[in-house]
Amino acid sequence: MKQLKNKLAAGFVALFAFGTTPVIADETCQSPYMPKITGQEEFVYVWTLGEAGVGDESDKLVTVDVRPESDSYGKVIASLSVGGLNEAHHGGFSADRRYFWAGGLDTNKIFIFDIHSDAAKPKLHKVVDSFVKDSGGAVGPHTFYGLPGRMMITALSNDKDHGGRTALVEYTNEGDYVATYWMPTAENPQGAKIDSPVVDGFGYDVRALIRKNIMLTSSFTGWSNYMMDFGKMLKDEAAMKRFGQTVVQWDLHTRQPKKVMHVPGAPLEIRFPWGPNSNYAFTTTALTSKLWLIHEDDEGEWHSKPVADIGDPSKVPLPVDISIAADDQHLWINSFLDGMTRLFDISDPHAPKQVYEKKIASQVNMVSQSWDGKRVYFTSSLLANWDKKGADNEQFLKAYDWNGKELIEKFSIDFHKEGLGRAHIMRFGSSKLYSS
Amino acid sequence: MQTVPAGRVFVNGVAILLAGVLLIPGSPLQAADTKSSWAEEASRRASEPVLGLPKINHPEENQPTPGKIALGRKLFFDRRLSINRTMSCAMCHIPEQGFANWELQTAVGVEGRTVRRNAPTVLNAAFYRVLFVDGRDTSLETQYIAPLVARNEMANPSAGYVVELLRSLEDYRGAFEANFDGGPSLDRIGKALAAYQRSLIAGNSPFDRWLYQGDERALNASQKRGLGLFKGKAGCVSCHLIEETHAIFTDNAFHDIGYGWWREQQRQTPRDHQQVEVAPGVVYPVPHAVIASVSEKQQPDLGRYEVTQDPDDRWKFRTPSLRNVAVTPPYMHDGGFAQLKDVLRFYNEGGRAHDGLDPVIRPLELSDRDLRDLEAFLTALTSPDIPRLIEEARTAVPDNW
Repeated sequence: MKQLKNKLAAGFVALFAFGTTPVIADETCQSPYMPKITGQEEFVYVWTLGEAGVGDESDKLVTVDVRPESDSYGKVIASLSVGGLNEAHHGGFSADRRYFWAGGLDTNKIFIFDIHSDAAKPKLHKVVDSFVKDSGGAVGPHTFYGLPGRMMITALSNDKDHGGRTALVEYTNEGDYVATYWMPTAENPQGAKIDSPVVDGFGYDVRALIRKNIMLTSSFTGWSNYMMDFGKMLKDEAAMKRFGQTVVQWDLHTRQPKKVMHVPGAPLEIRFPWGPNSNYAFTTTALTSKLWLIHEDDEGEWHSKPVADIGDPSKVPLPVDISIAADDQHLWINSFLDGMTRLFDISDPHAPKQVYEKKIASQVNMVSQSWDGKRVYFTSSLLANWDKKGADNEQFLKAYDWNGKELIEKFSIDFHKEGLGRAHIMRFGSSKLYSS
Repeated sequence: MQTVPAGRVFVNGVAILLAGVLLIPGSPLQAADTKSSWAEEASRRASEPVLGLPKINHPEENQPTPGKIALGRKLFFDRRLSINRTMSCAMCHIPEQGFANWELQTAVGVEGRTVRRNAPTVLNAAFYRVLFVDGRDTSLETQYIAPLVARNEMANPSAGYVVELLRSLEDYRGAFEANFDGGPSLDRIGKALAAYQRSLIAGNSPFDRWLYQGDERALNASQKRGLGLFKGKAGCVSCHLIEETHAIFTDNAFHDIGYGWWREQQRQTPRDHQQVEVAPGVVYPVPHAVIASVSEKQQPDLGRYEVTQDPDDRWKFRTPSLRNVAVTPPYMHDGGFAQLKDVLRFYNEGGRAHDGLDPVIRPLELSDRDLRDLEAFLTALTSPDIPRLIEEARTAVPDNW
């Protein structure tokens, strides 16, 4: 516990000093501002979409016990329904890691869960139902990225046409609206340097590299596409033209866009490595199945380039979530349509190589690994109307051990049999973060 | 909201020139509803003839007033009028996209539910005697109820639920009473929405100036040749009517041109692979089995038959007006054609032959130049008044929670 306290204290130093080494961080992919669980995580929170004919059909936050010594190891120990189908998708902790913010891409509601009062049983603390009105028209709260005292939220769409043009929206930790930062567009680049034939103004993920004062955003698609039946969309030539093709570099402090880079094929998750001299980030393009490097050159200029194929791009495996190891040597990449996870050696970020692959299920979306990389968790749901149909619509949380050579399954929870729904983003919890 | 000077707008690769201003979606929105000025102009426009269009036949009991039009506009853009507060009329009939939707072949409703048909423009809807492509309604005063309660559109539990909602919303307090003889009701909601939609009049096109004003320079040589083909060899005018004093470019009737039948054959016998453009210029053949694994069952569309149950009406759809057609892609009842040239090619091939094909549909034997001229003529049907209608539509931000 003393060790944990020291880490928390170090965290506050880093938080205000923007130290050169992210000595505190979350489990590999989270905001570097927040305390992390370096040892055994106790709980996995799964933000779960309600599903017609399954349980109470409501979106819910599911808590799974992952304490190896617990009698309820590998079991659901809490389920908190929030009501309705909101298109539950992503969520993130506040920088103090006391609250978990989770968004609904359809209804634009933001659910703020108290996870510190009882880490084993989250409580619904507050619902923000004015996101569209607050922001001046942003739709689809997606990534929740904890900044000191603030929550930076990417949106995916807008309330004028449900297309992909959108914004970053900032709230206080208390859930009060602060500001909206619209993505640069061809008509209004907002002073950003344009290094792309397309300036789409789309959004998806946001991540920051504090010591470089860099924030990156990626670009997906608007409400009409992410809400519609996936098969219908693949056959809709007009809709298929409406996917993001850009990554935007921002000034973290001023929230001003600095550069628009060309990354065609819908770049999704962004991950910065943790090394003190690692001035790059990875993203994957869902539609073109490529791993991209966003990197800084010797003159301090940031660029984008594809560095590897993920599976056979012509078969459109649809890479989705990625998880970078804490030592920056490996990157897990899930692909939805073939249900595969692939591990890439990224020791040379300019030339990643696949070193392992395993089929997880008929479909797989999210991947989260523990800080030590020894445990890897997978969930299944992509979007309510993009998930596979019929028997292929497997919904699960699966836990594996990674021994450096292969994934060994520890437990699997069938979210249909448990009456829960479609399992989406996972975040780790621990009561030890809050005990004195 | 941001305005930029007029310029070329690219729709599916086609450059479209709009006069005046164009509003750019996704930018910070402007406030103040200046209804006193814009709604008065809209009311005047709805009451007086517009070049190229007939006088609107307003129902006796629903004559246009600025107040009704302003209230109708507010209702049209109110996202709270769907079960989960995500959809309004304007989310499918998008002002900046020709009051249609350029970005989807077929519409998407509440919770992403599938709509079988393309969202048509509501510009000049005042001139249709039958509404929806299957003609299942005949009045703008009642038409709105169908999308309001359709499970795959706005999905309200009942029409009465919406009336109660409007009675409870603070920002509607007194709005109905000021324009009608009482508060919110189904009848009054319909009248307000109809009044607004009947103000969305877009005539005065280059074609109108050429034919009805004698402005020789309004059409170029190619467009004039195209008009000649339209009225002559191609025979388009037999359904897309041009009359002596005006032209609404529709006969308000139902025809089987072979398209609906053809699409049904494709639904029943899908191709082995679907060409999917994953990024500009990057196209992969995706196996049908992969697409089927993430697809709900596609529903058939029998057109007018779904209203009449008469087998002779299978795959008949209402003739669409061609006004503003260049700024309202994609085309056909299911948006299956991205560009005008695709539509012209279909007609030139004689539609798709089968038993019920309308006899006016036949191979046209038009040359490439003929097709280019016809397309040029169709671009002369775009109204210069659309930017003004967009501006009016965006006098206030959409209502949200």
